[in-house]
Amino acid sequence: MRKFKWGHLYLVLVFIMLYLPIFYLVGYSFSDGERMSHFTGFTFRHYGELFNDPRMIQIVLDTLLLALLSALIATIVGSFGAMAINRTVKPVVRNTVLSLNNILMVSPDVIIGASFLIFFTALNVPLGFLSVLLSHIAFEIPIVVLMVLPRLKELPGTMLDAAQDLGATNFQVLRDVILPFITPGIFSGFFMAFTYSLDDFAVTFFVTGNGFQTLAVEIYARARQGISLEINALSGVMFLFALLLVVGYYFIQQGQSARKQKKGGR
Amino acid sequence: MRKNSNVAFYVPYVLWLALFVIAPMLLIFYQSFFDINGHFTLGNYVTYFQSGTYLAMTFNSVWYAFLITAVTLLISYPAAYILHYMKHKQLWLLLIILPTWINLLLKAYAFIGIFGRDGGLNNFLGLFGIVPQQLLFTDAAFIFVAAYIEIPFMILPIFNGIEELDEGLINASRDLGASPWQTFTKVTWPLTISGVKSGVQAVFIPSLSLFMLTRLIGGNRVITLGTAIEEHFLTTMNWGMGSTIGVVLIVAMVIIMFLTGERNKLKKGGKHHA
Amino acid sequence: MSEAIVELRHVNKSYGDTTVLKDINITLEEGKFYTLLGPSGSGKTTILRAIAGFLNVSGGDIFIAGKRVNDIPANLREVNTVFQDYALFPHMNVFENVAYGLRIRKVDKASIETRVIDALKMVRLDNLANREISELSGGQKQRVAIARAIVLEPKVLLLDEPLSALDAKLRKDMQYELRDLQQRLGITFLFVTHDQEEALALSDEIFIMNDAVVQQSGTPVDIYDEPINHFVADFIGESNIIDGRMVEDYQVKFNGKIFECSDAGMKPDEHVEVVLRPEDLDVVPAEKGKVTVSIDTQLFRGDFYEIVAYDDGQNEWLIHSTNPAPEDGTLVGLYFDPEDIHVMRFGESEEDFDARLESYEGE
Repeated sequence: MRKFKWGHLYLVLVFIMLYLPIFYLVGYSFSDGERMSHFTGFTFRHYGELFNDPRMIQIVLDTLLLALLSALIATIVGSFGAMAINRTVKPVVRNTVLSLNNILMVSPDVIIGASFLIFFTALNVPLGFLSVLLSHIAFEIPIVVLMVLPRLKELPGTMLDAAQDLGATNFQVLRDVILPFITPGIFSGFFMAFTYSLDDFAVTFFVTGNGFQTLAVEIYARARQGISLEINALSGVMFLFALLLVVGYYFIQQGQSARKQKKGGR
Repeated sequence: MRKNSNVAFYVPYVLWLALFVIAPMLLIFYQSFFDINGHFTLGNYVTYFQSGTYLAMTFNSVWYAFLITAVTLLISYPAAYILHYMKHKQLWLLLIILPTWINLLLKAYAFIGIFGRDGGLNNFLGLFGIVPQQLLFTDAAFIFVAAYIEIPFMILPIFNGIEELDEGLINASRDLGASPWQTFTKVTWPLTISGVKSGVQAVFIPSLSLFMLTRLIGGNRVITLGTAIEEHFLTTMNWGMGSTIGVVLIVAMVIIMFLTGERNKLKKGGKHHA
Repeated sequence: MSEAIVELRHVNKSYGDTTVLKDINITLEEGKFYTLLGPSGSGKTTILRAIAGFLNVSGGDIFIAGKRVNDIPANLREVNTVFQDYALFPHMNVFENVAYGLRIRKVDKASIETRVIDALKMVRLDNLANREISELSGGQKQRVAIARAIVLEPKVLLLDEPLSALDAKLRKDMQYELRDLQQRLGITFLFVTHDQEEALALSDEIFIMNDAVVQQSGTPVDIYDEPINHFVADFIGESNIIDGRMVEDYQVKFNGKIFECSDAGMKPDEHVEVVLRPEDLDVVPAEKGKVTVSIDTQLFRGDFYEIVAYDDGQNEWLIHSTNPAPEDGTLVGLYFDPEDIHVMRFGESEEDFDARLESYEGE
């Protein structure tokens, strides 16, 4: 027990380190000054500025739309991709596809951004919403695959046999057995894809033109010009949003493990 | 009998593999053989290997990535280990993940405030009578902020590694007379090394290519491979040279992946930023 | 003789160099209980899967109700399977699981309702129709799996080791129920198991599989009494298998002595194996026995004593006796009747075996 107390202290320190900057950031969004030092009185002024900044609101909406749309498409493509990988019998093919799938997971964003930039230029795809959307879909697909694949592996082969045995066609097997079974994986995949999109800075930075900005790119531009407490206000809003996302994700996960326990407890 | 099922469903995925995984990698390789005027050349590679600047930059980049990884690992392993023995550990884990959901631009931005000449840290040090220091745009600040951002990505795979460890083995080791330290070095560490490897992989590779941190926190003093690529692509428009450095970075990445084993476990929220 | 409902003719299956089925010829008649019995890897489940349509055979023909079904996919074959792991759909409740096949067949709602309830009544689960699968015990899941298959009124019900996941007691109960169910439904059951007791207890006819080949088929009594070869004798029940030579018809020599037996049709002085079942051996005083052995160990098995003894050639003898043997080390005699001796030839085909038995047993 004694050593655990030291352990707790250590963890508390780590958590302070992780959260202090975030609270510092959000805290100053309520400061009545213009700089991120010397808190000078409480105000909602910066939030007011934020919500009266049509450019910023447009960017937030664009970013959300981009995240939703790309995550949706990536989830569909990725789920079917996972099924394709799962039914590949030859280990060589399977491992090759899996390795290729993971390339975009491990590649540094700069490389993804730069290579996509070359790719879009070569194909004459105009840089803007379309190129950003395609890029986001591209780097979200592998995570969807990785979230769906374990669920598919858990699906017993006999269950597919059983459905077929009872008369189901391939399509009916997919609709009645496979999809319901992997739904939690699909949800997690969609969720992860969504957050990846929101989080991305570097890839977007490379492949976006002048016409289209995401939040991250906009923050980068503003941060390079110096401190603006409007960004802090935005952080406050985003922190709240992230909190909601995390809580949402937590419940998806809990739902998933509860299901597992149920299954295990014969 | 179920082979001939709807292949059409898989076409988008295969197209994606071809267009967005294979083609871009080939293109960046191809591009590295062209100079700024679009002529075929090996000059980029010659420049790279002959100019001291590029080699020094590469060495610097690797050195910083190493430091960042080491600092991150040092902080993360004990944290993951303690976390494993906590009640409600899933909840604590979630709290570790939560910061990764805050856009890292915002976190970097926070440190501009904290490390500023007039910022939080200098004010805090002022309480002890220490005169304000230049903190922002130092190497230490760069490494600290990078480590700060990477910590969750290191804790997660290590935590998963420790979770997979059979508690019975720890008990067996203790039962056979090993001290806690011996148990740790002979049982726990070797069996969780794969988690550490994935963590190192998840941290080292992105650290090689961080570019926005070098600008916002490092104040352009630190130039990494990532910064150089960004500059060649978006500022000097010398895509050939940028691609050459990109190829070097890819090679470095492959080496790291090879060294840390092919085990490539899924890291929750393990997406990386430059 | 009733109609052949399933027929396999010269069925082969191999994966690369590995042959899992070698020239299988099986005929299943209507309304009987068949068992495919064999150790794991013997090919018994492969036969089941070939009939169900989950795999394509490499050669030969499969007929169901007189129709060649080699090219008919599993979902269109009129057979249904009960899987070893039950393979119930976890996202559907008991009723929905059983109703699934009917819904696929677009049966109208009212009939679905009655047929599902009827099927559940058959397995005595009609009171659990609205339960979730996760809330069921192993035995209940088993019944749902059966109900889900029989509700479609298949021509043949295929059961892939359905009892193997149940504990011993429940397993016994389910054996009775399965047998009873089969008789009430009157449909053909093809049951796969590696448990010889189960096979003996349930079946009208058993196919014994080993090494991709059907070793012997017949009623449980026939197979037990007249095993065709070493493998079958060893696999079914317990046995003492001794090397011997056939001196002439009805005379076999083993342990250095010539014994009278009830087998014939071998070549003179042919090398054979002799089977003596442990329960056919009686422990008698040394001078009255046909073989003299020394008691080594004995274990009380509840309904009998299992005694291990050695003869002077250090051959092991297994004896099942209702009475305890004298203390360890005692020399005793073993007595058996001529008809307790069963002689097996090496490498005799099932056809030749049947013909030979026919030739002298009919008399």
